[in-house]
Amino acid sequence: MFVAALELVPPRIIGRIVDEMNEGSLEQNLLWLLLGGLAAVGIGNYVARFFWRYFIFGASIRLGRLLRSQLYRHFTDLDQRFYKKSRVGDLMAHATNDVQAVSMTAGAGILTLVDSVTMGTFVIITMVTTISWKLTVVALLPLPVMVALTTRYGKLLHSRFGVAQAAFSELNDKVQESVSGVRVLKSTGEVGRDVDSFENLSDEVMAKNVRVAKIDALYDPTIFGIVGLSYILSIGYGAYLIEQGELTIGQIVSFTAYLSLLTWPMLAFGWLFNIVERGRASYDRIERMLAVKPEIQDDPVAATKLAHSEIEADIHSFAYDEHTVLQDVTFRLERGETLGVVGRTGSGKTTLVRLLTREYDVSEGKVKIGGINIRQVQKSVLLERVALVPQDHFLFSDSIASNIAFGRPDAKMDEIMEAAKIAEVHDDIMRLPDGYATLVGERGVTLSGGQKQRISIARALMVEADVLILDDALSAVDAKTEEAIIDHFRTGNPDQSCLIVAHRLSAVEHADEILVLEDGRVIQRGSHAELIRQAGWYKDTYDRQQLEAIVEGGGHHEA
Amino acid sequence: MKHDIQEWAVIKRLLGYATRYGRSLSIAFVFLLLATGAKLAGPFLIKVFIDEFVTPGVYPTNWVVTLFVVYMVLHVSAIVFDYLQSISFQKIALKIVQNIRIDIFKHVMGMRLAYFDRTPAGVLVSRITNDTEAVKELYVGVMSTFVQSGVQLLGTYIFLYILEPTLATMGLVLVPLFWLIIWAYRRYSTKYFAQVRDLLSQLNAQLNESINGMGIVQQFRQEERLIRQFEETNEAHQEARYRNLKLDSMLLRPIIELLLAFSIIGLLGYYGVLSTTEQVQVGVVYAFISYIERIFRPVLDIMQRLSEFQQAVVSADRVFKILDTDEPAPGKNLSGEADVVAGEVRFDDVTFSYDGEVDVLKNISFVAKPGETVALVGHTGSGKSSIINLLTRFYPYQSGQITIDGQPIEQFEEAELRDKVGLVLQDPFLFTGTIEDNLKLFNPSIDSDRVREAAEFVQAHTFIEKLDAGYGHQVGERGATFSSGERQLLAFARTVARDPKILILDEATSSIDTETEERVQLALDRMRRGRTTIAIAHRLSTIQDADLILVLHRGEIVERGNHQALLRQDGLYKKMYELQSGQRLMS
Repeated sequence: MFVAALELVPPRIIGRIVDEMNEGSLEQNLLWLLLGGLAAVGIGNYVARFFWRYFIFGASIRLGRLLRSQLYRHFTDLDQRFYKKSRVGDLMAHATNDVQAVSMTAGAGILTLVDSVTMGTFVIITMVTTISWKLTVVALLPLPVMVALTTRYGKLLHSRFGVAQAAFSELNDKVQESVSGVRVLKSTGEVGRDVDSFENLSDEVMAKNVRVAKIDALYDPTIFGIVGLSYILSIGYGAYLIEQGELTIGQIVSFTAYLSLLTWPMLAFGWLFNIVERGRASYDRIERMLAVKPEIQDDPVAATKLAHSEIEADIHSFAYDEHTVLQDVTFRLERGETLGVVGRTGSGKTTLVRLLTREYDVSEGKVKIGGINIRQVQKSVLLERVALVPQDHFLFSDSIASNIAFGRPDAKMDEIMEAAKIAEVHDDIMRLPDGYATLVGERGVTLSGGQKQRISIARALMVEADVLILDDALSAVDAKTEEAIIDHFRTGNPDQSCLIVAHRLSAVEHADEILVLEDGRVIQRGSHAELIRQAGWYKDTYDRQQLEAIVEGGGHHEA
Repeated sequence: MKHDIQEWAVIKRLLGYATRYGRSLSIAFVFLLLATGAKLAGPFLIKVFIDEFVTPGVYPTNWVVTLFVVYMVLHVSAIVFDYLQSISFQKIALKIVQNIRIDIFKHVMGMRLAYFDRTPAGVLVSRITNDTEAVKELYVGVMSTFVQSGVQLLGTYIFLYILEPTLATMGLVLVPLFWLIIWAYRRYSTKYFAQVRDLLSQLNAQLNESINGMGIVQQFRQEERLIRQFEETNEAHQEARYRNLKLDSMLLRPIIELLLAFSIIGLLGYYGVLSTTEQVQVGVVYAFISYIERIFRPVLDIMQRLSEFQQAVVSADRVFKILDTDEPAPGKNLSGEADVVAGEVRFDDVTFSYDGEVDVLKNISFVAKPGETVALVGHTGSGKSSIINLLTRFYPYQSGQITIDGQPIEQFEEAELRDKVGLVLQDPFLFTGTIEDNLKLFNPSIDSDRVREAAEFVQAHTFIEKLDAGYGHQVGERGATFSSGERQLLAFARTVARDPKILILDEATSSIDTETEERVQLALDRMRRGRTTIAIAHRLSTIQDADLILVLHRGEIVERGNHQALLRQDGLYKKMYELQSGQRLMS
């Protein structure tokens, strides 16, 4: 408001000076006074503008930060079901583009709105009251056209820009693929053709960007054209009014100065529509995102303490959507015991693990820990007791030591090393350039799949949970190392129960009980010794896995 | 922080790209000059109108109409030329960026594999797309703004000079002032801007990682700790943005407005004092005020683009660094023609090192006669993969010689080598597209029938047919929906479709479910028939019928012979064999 009011003063003073000049009656003293006034207003304006911008943009910066925090916190609340359904890129887009759009609407948008509305009204009022309402009407005639046109451009630009962005991200995917698949491309000698296809895609991106440019280039000429029209109208009509004796030249000069003050609010208005629209769409997306509730939530009266960590599973059935994945799976896992779960891919092994850590809830039947149904146990309490080493071994871009100590950031170095030794990865780590301080991930060293798996195991060991679940977590580890790790488990912590899901039967040979799953049902169960005596999947697989050992020329069975 | 960049060198090089478009550029430039001239004539005409007609109060119709028509014509041509110049500059800019993009992609794809081993894929992708996109902004937004603003500034000044030479000369005072402001702004904004950018990318990296690893975060109940970490970065980012905002509020628009106000004061002061002694032309005052306002706009435009400019230069520099990294893949470097006829592979005393320090292969010699299978066994790091990398000419070797049918591999044309030597990788990389596309892999000379034949040959046909759309099935997520066995079969089919004379196999280490394993095994046997095969074997059981087994240890061949002979030798091979069979039999 203050700024807008201040802006109005200079044109008046300028008009006054011009008039006096025109009549040759300008007094030195008056001139200096007027100029002094101009200077004061100019400085006042500077200071006012500074604070105004600072506060409004500052608020938008704070809003951006707040939204980011909220989203991040919300992301940590959502369960794995949600993450299975969503794509990382989309989630990232919420926290980056959408937050930015909202923050921009709040900052630049509000700034523009307040600016254009107050400034516009003030200027028009001043023009009407101090100069001439007739001239004002005539001069403003072309401006609505401009607002209409720029708004239209904005819409076109937005949609074309979206198309161009989509082409660009396709290009991005293409490059990602070519770089990752460079070995294949080179070995088949198809690099040249790949470059051709890149060129085509790149051409497309360019063509779509040219379409954007065609609209973008319309803005300035349109504005210039219409503003120019306004000027000529006001000068022409103004000249007529001067003739009629209704106005002075100085007033015309002030009038054109006011007119130049008006162009910006008009422009801003058209622009504002777009920005607010975009901001609102983004805000809606963020709101929707924040409204997503985790599907698995703690019961308000959930148990916060567990007497022990024995697991009793009595799963009648479990289905993802319509598709039944598990049926009639029952077992007990007592303290210090090891349970093996084997079966072919897709037989339901991983699903079973997901039910135990409550990533999903059993459809019919129940899973109990410490004698309580896990639905009535706080999830954090459950997870404190049960540590899972998942199939996909995700490591953070941090040092190896921090990765191992992820669940216990305050752990001591020797505890970390101890865990690494149990997981048979200590020697590997020591061979790395910076040992435990070596960075992994994007910016760090590349580890082999087996090394990553063993680090994940060490990470799970660190939290000293009562129950350790390995979900095919040894697949990339060679047989000898696997045996050593399993050996360490058995001798290391006799109270820890273990659930081992595996492809290789050697990983479960020592289990107290082994479940063989097929199509979600337990088709065989018993100890290794028992199972090996029965005809069935277990024995077949065992024999088949040995097939490579018992070969025609050999017969070298004994080690 | 990144002051080691030779800014001018980068800009010069960027402009070098522009010279390819000399003709289009000159046309665009002419448009720009015309547009600027037409635009600037406006206030001049109004000045004439005021001074000649309004002040005296006489309106000779002819003159007024002429003046009006001239004004309108100029006005319309200003609009048209302005549009033309803007679109021309943007088009050129887009073309230049297109050029740079293709250059860098071609360059990167032509590098040797050692380069890809060293450089993370993410980095290369961001160089090829994001950095060139920033360069695009540089051309489209910044450089054209600079050119346009520059021409406008100059044009405006010329008009000022025509109007009133004394005053225009006095106006030169503004030049160092502008320079000072731009310099001061740039000096601080570069630093603050870089801080904001770094923190933002850190923020996004944290977010991205947390989303990816949320399962682990929740599993280990570290949500609060990570929220705290995120908040710290978020806070730092906010503060950096505040610093930036303060600078912008102080030096950007407001100060330009202040300067404008003072210029007008100076102008009015000059004329005011003048008016006490002589008659002042009011039209000139009007025109002067209009022009002065027009001087300030380009300056503001330039300043607002400065930070973008800085960022784009950094990006361009990174792009150029890659273009300057010259590590071409080893290619044909011996004269003379060579063809693969029978497919005899011979290594003759080959020694090789990746880094020039540690030899990973020492004095390797062996022969694979046409149609024979040579198996390479040994622990990880024993040199098996290196042998393959040399035979496929992915890496240059230091001494010795590798020949195919008696001719050194350096003598083969790239196309001949790739056609006749088929490599089956451990991880069959699947591209976006259909199964058929993936088997053809861009090669138009392979038709659908051949694709099907190949798939049937390697037993991939059955599972492909079961997919929805069969061969037209869209591979999603890099083929993550396929089991590793199926992926392996697809890789086989891809190679067989090309019908190579020599087959190089890198057996998959990861576990394949037993049923598929049998099919894989069968497919392997069929593929090997009639082809010279060099195979890396992880399971000794798969290579017992090989004609020659080379046992590698620390880059040397320590044992050689067929399976039976090696077992009789009672050496490393026998130990490995016993280890593999032994652990299955322990119970």
